[in-house]
Amino acid sequence: MFYYILKKEFLLILRNLHALIVLFVMPTVFIIIMSLALQNTYANKYDVKLSVLLSSEKTSPALESFVQTLNTNTFFEFTLAQIAPVVDEALYHQKYDFVLTLSNDFTEKLGKSSDVSMALFSRSDISYQQVAFLKQFLSAKLSENVIKNLLEVQGKAQNALNFDEIISHTYVLKDKNTTTVTSVQHSVPSWLIFSMFFILIPISNTFINEKNFGTIDKIRSINVSLSKIIMGKFIPYFVMNQLQVFCMILVGMYLIPLLNGDALVIHGSIFLLMLISCVVSIAAISFALFIATLSNSSEMATILGGTSNIILAALGGIMVPKVVMPKFMQDVSEVSPMSWALDCFLDIIVKGGNFGDIEFNVMKLLLFSLLFFTLACLMLNYRRN
Amino acid sequence: MIKKYKHSIVLDHLDLTIKEGSIFGLLGPNGAGKTTLVSILNYLVPKDFGEVKILGYDSDKNEKEIKSCSSLVPQSYAFYPTLSAYENLEFFGALYGLTGKVLHTKIDYCLEMTSLETYRDTKTETFSGGLKRRLNIAIGLLNSPKILYLDEPTVGIDPQSRSYILNVIKNINQTEGTTIVYTSHYMEEIEYLCDDIAILDQGKIVFHETKETINAHSNIAKIYLSDTSMQEVNLQSNYDALVDTFYNIKQKSLHVKEIELPKNNLENIFLSITKKELRD
Repeated sequence: MFYYILKKEFLLILRNLHALIVLFVMPTVFIIIMSLALQNTYANKYDVKLSVLLSSEKTSPALESFVQTLNTNTFFEFTLAQIAPVVDEALYHQKYDFVLTLSNDFTEKLGKSSDVSMALFSRSDISYQQVAFLKQFLSAKLSENVIKNLLEVQGKAQNALNFDEIISHTYVLKDKNTTTVTSVQHSVPSWLIFSMFFILIPISNTFINEKNFGTIDKIRSINVSLSKIIMGKFIPYFVMNQLQVFCMILVGMYLIPLLNGDALVIHGSIFLLMLISCVVSIAAISFALFIATLSNSSEMATILGGTSNIILAALGGIMVPKVVMPKFMQDVSEVSPMSWALDCFLDIIVKGGNFGDIEFNVMKLLLFSLLFFTLACLMLNYRRN
Repeated sequence: MIKKYKHSIVLDHLDLTIKEGSIFGLLGPNGAGKTTLVSILNYLVPKDFGEVKILGYDSDKNEKEIKSCSSLVPQSYAFYPTLSAYENLEFFGALYGLTGKVLHTKIDYCLEMTSLETYRDTKTETFSGGLKRRLNIAIGLLNSPKILYLDEPTVGIDPQSRSYILNVIKNINQTEGTTIVYTSHYMEEIEYLCDDIAILDQGKIVFHETKETINAHSNIAKIYLSDTSMQEVNLQSNYDALVDTFYNIKQKSLHVKEIELPKNNLENIFLSITKKELRD
């Protein structure tokens, strides 16, 4: 009997094109876009430099050499202009991010004195952090120039000035392997969790159709236990969720590198990854069953389920990584089961964590499942009577 | 049996016996309680009070036995539109506990009974209303039921399909001896199909007769004579008997003031009992 119950449910899912798109195509597209879009942010690489128009009425070989030194950085691109620019024109029509005007005596005092002045202008969409960074960068370079001149006078070696190179940085993981966090390591679990919770679309559609067509009444008039009916629904959707996990991991490992992105590297145990994917699936299906029993129509389920999923995702660090959220929003994100799931995945994939690291979040997800499964059963019973 | 929904009584001390092997027709206006009764008999809705015995089994104690020997064909198309007829029958057959060769033989039989063989692998979402109704019935036959409940099984289909379905139901009753419980709004269907007819109104059985009794009453015409007397005449009697009746009237030098033709067809009975007011 169970074979045909499962066969029926699998056929219903596989013939539901919209559901397949939501479950497999949507997360794949999101993973590709977000992994590539955030690749430089996560890798601290900047392909696009902020442009700075450096305006000075006078010029000299020393100033030109200084500008060359400034242009050896990764973040800013300096262009020297000998005319006084119209600041508005430079920022909004010539598309410079900054305009830096140097005082008249700047050329003479360069490298000899720190008693120089310059005025910095920026567009209104340039962040305060970028302005502060540029100011610090300039002051460092000016100081460096002064020290360089002093060392030259004293005849000492100039490699002592490479302060940047003497400070190294390495991300430290729990498994002691040293590697950097990549965008794909965040994107794959994030959009995977998001799409796993979207299992509610096919579940609720099937469930509501059964209710509206009277199929559920026909089934109830037959000698078949409720547990078989529930398991007949639970198992196929659980399998679909696991297929999603498998496919999205493959996308991260093999497809993203083909598109010049970073490959997904899993630092933790595959067994723990399977465990957390099972727990997330149980939570997603329980929530979907609750939405399905609560809704009277497919439209209602799609709106109710879709909206709640998007809110849970926005809160849970799926759409915006929690690390960039302010403290109070990070605290608020703790209410979202997607946040618990994401923490578990990141603990395993990125940090190489063990069961102790995910234990608390796994418990929370199981309690969430129990709560919504119970509510779904109560709602089903209420509607039946 | 009593069934209440909140403050309204849907089935009010309902008392009904259905003869085994018969085709029982249940008529009633909208909201009379027909679907509630069928739902209670199929364990979809619990009754509040009363006793139900089906084939000698007590419904409170023998749910499993009763479910295994009865089958419901609901008013709606209770199957999956994206599955083929065969896949639907496979699923429901499996729920009835059929497996392997027995399941597939039974499916073939049900497809044959409802003439759906050529549509077995077609997705049911492409079916016409008549084909869908036939598949509903085919699903209902999977467990070889001793009692088959058909809740308005001909709603929304063309006359050809309706006629075909009525014949299928009659055939099931005659070849398998299945007791049919048939609810409908269509008087002519009930008159054609059923040999035991009841009218349910406001939760009570207000009429319950065999078709023979109804037919017997529906052939009597009343003749009102000039001396204010009245004579009954059976229109089914032979020609000579009718001629004799009128000859006797003439012999008594009476003349006929009025002839009242029989009104006891099912529709007249239904309307006279349930009145003509709209129910919803």
